[in-house]
Amino acid sequence: MKLRKLTAVLLVGAMVLSLAACGKKSSNSGDGGSGSSEAGSETIRLLGYSYYESTMNILRDQLTKAGFNVEIDMQPDYASMVTARDTGNWDIAMSGWTTVTGNPDYAVRDVYASYGQYNAGGINDPKIDELIDKASQETPSEYGATYKELEDYAITENAYSLPLYSTRGIRAINNTVVDEKTVLNPQSRSAYWENYSYVDPSQNETRTLMLTQTMGDLTSLDPIQANDGSINQLSANLNVRIVNMTPDDKIEAEGSLSRNISIAEGNQAFYFILRDDCYFSRVENKHVVATDVRVGAEDVEFSLERAADEKSVANHKTYNLHNHMSEVSIVTDIEELKGINDSDTGKPVFDTLSEGLPSEIQTLTADKTQVDNANGVYQVVKISTENPFPQVLYYLAHQSAGILNKEAVTEMNSKFEVDSYDPTKDVCYGDPAAIKSGNNHLWMSGPYALVDYDDYQVVFEKNPGYMAGTEHEAKINNVAIKFIKEPTSATSEFRAGGIDILDAVNTNDVATLQEDKNYTVFVYIRHATTYCDFNMTNGNKFENIDLRKAVFYAINQDEFIAYNNDLVGPLYSTASTLVDTGNKLEFSLEKSAEHLKAYQDSKK
Amino acid sequence: MAKNQMTKNESLYLKKVNRRKLSGSLEYTTSKLAYQVTAVLVFALVIWQIVLPLAGGKELSTISTALTAVYGVEFLLQLITVKRIEKEITGAAGEISNTTRKLGILLVPFVVTGNFLLFIAGAMLLKKEKNLEYQLAVYSLLVNIFIILISLFNLFKETLVDTFWLGIGFYTLYSVLNLVIIGAVSKYTFGKKPDKKFMPFAVICLLGIALGNVFSFVLGLITIGKYRNKNEEVSVEWIDVIKRLFRNYTAVIGMFFVVLFIGISIGSNLTFDYDLAIANNFSARLAEPSLMYPFGYDDYGRCVFTRIIFGASISLIVGLVSTIVPIIIGGILGAIAGFYGGTRDNAIMRVMDVLNAVPSILLAIAIIAAFGVSTMNLILALSVSVIPSYARTVRAQVLGISNQEFVEAAKACGAKNGTIIFKHIIPNSLAPVIVQATMGIGSAVLSTSSLSYLGIGVEAHVPEWGNILKAGSTFLETNPYIAIYPGLAIIIIVLAFNFFGDGLRDALDPKLK
Repeated sequence: MKLRKLTAVLLVGAMVLSLAACGKKSSNSGDGGSGSSEAGSETIRLLGYSYYESTMNILRDQLTKAGFNVEIDMQPDYASMVTARDTGNWDIAMSGWTTVTGNPDYAVRDVYASYGQYNAGGINDPKIDELIDKASQETPSEYGATYKELEDYAITENAYSLPLYSTRGIRAINNTVVDEKTVLNPQSRSAYWENYSYVDPSQNETRTLMLTQTMGDLTSLDPIQANDGSINQLSANLNVRIVNMTPDDKIEAEGSLSRNISIAEGNQAFYFILRDDCYFSRVENKHVVATDVRVGAEDVEFSLERAADEKSVANHKTYNLHNHMSEVSIVTDIEELKGINDSDTGKPVFDTLSEGLPSEIQTLTADKTQVDNANGVYQVVKISTENPFPQVLYYLAHQSAGILNKEAVTEMNSKFEVDSYDPTKDVCYGDPAAIKSGNNHLWMSGPYALVDYDDYQVVFEKNPGYMAGTEHEAKINNVAIKFIKEPTSATSEFRAGGIDILDAVNTNDVATLQEDKNYTVFVYIRHATTYCDFNMTNGNKFENIDLRKAVFYAINQDEFIAYNNDLVGPLYSTASTLVDTGNKLEFSLEKSAEHLKAYQDSKK
Repeated sequence: MAKNQMTKNESLYLKKVNRRKLSGSLEYTTSKLAYQVTAVLVFALVIWQIVLPLAGGKELSTISTALTAVYGVEFLLQLITVKRIEKEITGAAGEISNTTRKLGILLVPFVVTGNFLLFIAGAMLLKKEKNLEYQLAVYSLLVNIFIILISLFNLFKETLVDTFWLGIGFYTLYSVLNLVIIGAVSKYTFGKKPDKKFMPFAVICLLGIALGNVFSFVLGLITIGKYRNKNEEVSVEWIDVIKRLFRNYTAVIGMFFVVLFIGISIGSNLTFDYDLAIANNFSARLAEPSLMYPFGYDDYGRCVFTRIIFGASISLIVGLVSTIVPIIIGGILGAIAGFYGGTRDNAIMRVMDVLNAVPSILLAIAIIAAFGVSTMNLILALSVSVIPSYARTVRAQVLGISNQEFVEAAKACGAKNGTIIFKHIIPNSLAPVIVQATMGIGSAVLSTSSLSYLGIGVEAHVPEWGNILKAGSTFLETNPYIAIYPGLAIIIIVLAFNFFGDGLRDALDPKLK
């Protein structure tokens, strides 16, 4: 009897409690509901690929906390992401930009200008184009203010782009294999392979230097048809340029095809006197062959003219870098050089070009076969720009200004019309698919030649005709780049000894590598940035400035920096690492909420 | 010489008898396992918490030393109990004395330290006549206590979720009810038919399924099933199966873990804070395990413990759904193929063969690559690839059964084909499918985790075990705990399903009746 009573009491108790629970729970879900009704109201589709996984996770978290509902579209690789981006079904897309030329014009032009090749969000504002042009004509002491004005207008006022963080360069080498003194860590340009040497120099002849990169689909090996992470490093070492960039972004002739450079008064004409010890290499049966064809002024003229011509190829990716050049010509008249003064020294251009030559300039020729520097026969190239544009030299140091062989390119590209080019059928110069299938038609002027390319790696051999006998001659005979998509897998491979130099180290792996005395980790300044594009095309909702600002103020860059162990820095625009404008991204959930509300009100 | 030989034989015989007696005693089996496992634990604790820190020159923490001491006491107590049981069973009395049984009272409370084996051993020792109902009630209580214990870890955290005390209250109340049920079970459920007075308790037991407590639910079902059984001479078959299942201690422990994971994935909604599992907190990035965060923080500053707890529900849901769906599809296809034979059989089975020829993980990757990363697609991907194996199993069964007399009889009575298939054949061919399914859930959990690990399972921020493992794999050298704990969780649940499946196969096997 007593037990029955107890049971009844307990049962009633359980029922009361479960009712209370229902009540409580519904009130709780109500709370969450009010939060989530706001949160659920604005869905953002975030597009990226696996490389950005952690960044996208932090971004998702921050946007969720600001009341957005984030849908993640994570593509497996860069190429898939580009395809997905082209369909337009996204709101915010991950982007990375590395200013490989080291000048601010390059850092902003292709990203923010209405005609920019990498302006994925569809920024189209005449004032931005105007500011970019204005800054490009100014000297470094003047352009700081203009770039600040640009940032204030494009980022602060209009939130056209969402800055996340700037990346440092982190390179790890196995110092038991590679001589760490031969490793340079350039801020902007790609790694210099020709300097690398083994600890044991006798290995230079036989051992293959193993490098790695994440992108395995090479866009194109024609320098002007690609400008992305898949080919930058390759192209920079395959083709020589007429100027070179030092690790700290100074322009010099040393290590380039030129012996000397001179900027004529007025900053509109540029003179280059060429070396005679640089020859093309080509490939036969997957091994390098010396062609004994000199890299001459004709090739320079040809290569730069096509770079400055929008219609020279079907997919001209670097036209915006080179369209400032109005004329490229071969100078044969010595008197012309004597009659014009250098803008720096005020002396005749002839004197500047003559400094330190093996012999005095006797004659100038337009025929590269006649060149003989030892006996005073030289070639001089003159480049003119439409407006005074001193930054042009940075672009000439870029991989896209690599010198190609006139005959080799013409032979490939004369088989079809540029206007009716069909990538499925026509094979243009540098087509990676053709090279993969064995049709290696490249003629390479740089320190290395690409001899083989498959899904797993690209193999290089030293160009025997590249500045032989000078300090710029490549030390190591064989180099290969292995494709490893995952940065962590690349680190594992590096630690297992399969990779000698790791050009990009995951920030989470740095501490582990630093602990091992066999590895040297270089952390250096690199003008690399990570940001997001807003989709402002085809009437997408991010055309609304309030919505952009709602997202803009929801970003807390400190979290990205903390996640990456302080190995990344703050960012405001893609020029942040080059020009100090003092702008900092403001994190304010209140402002974000205000703008979100303004957006939602405007929609009603 | 001959005499010597005889005594030797006799002692060998005696030993055999004793061994049989001992293995027949539930008290002995449970106690023995309890003391063995505790011994291993004590050894591990001494090495890990005392010897290693001392060797490393670190100071001993009071908590871990105390824990080691408590486990030491548990071990000694259990050892004494086992020796006593052994002596008494093999002794003159042949059964356990009441004094020894009272030792159970000492063992049971140690469940607070997480030693469930001691609890089971104690509970089995306390009662002389242990029917199925009593065992189920004990396990049900154990699951409740464990959920409360795991939830109480949240007390160390800075903030508690709003519904925390409600959840704890709920489970405490249910545990009290459970205790009452244990009392009632001893009083009312002897014999073939339970007392009518037990029926209210049976209803409470059924309600336990809302908390994910399968033991309590089964207890309710059994008593109601027995109560409604008209013919007392014939026992209900499915109850016999469960009875046989409970004779296998390993299977029951497997079942206990499965039920515990189900229970915790339901209970965690009340007592755990989902924000801790999913929101980034960089001030606590990669913090070491502590009482506040038992398994530490991951690289985004999320609590690994909370993530694993919430991961249980995803793993279980994906595991269960992606097993049930192919059972239904494969079962129907297999039944049709087996029953009708001929062209239909050929057509269906060849399609199944084609499906079977594609490597399952590859098929899953292809499906996810085509439809995108989401939990629904993951379930679809995992389901499609296992349909053929269920179709094959059912077809083989149906082929055997459709020639038996009772099917002939049904046909002779003019039953329609559909009726024959669904009423006679499928129920009789389910046993092997059930066993296969239990094992299948384990492998589905594994597949989910491996696909997530490859980055194509559920989205990266969702707390799924494979995801947690992947996040941890980067820090295997510096912060190994991030990967170890989700790995252990996966191992435990897969093992649990396998043990349970093994036990179920034995229980369902007609030859072992």
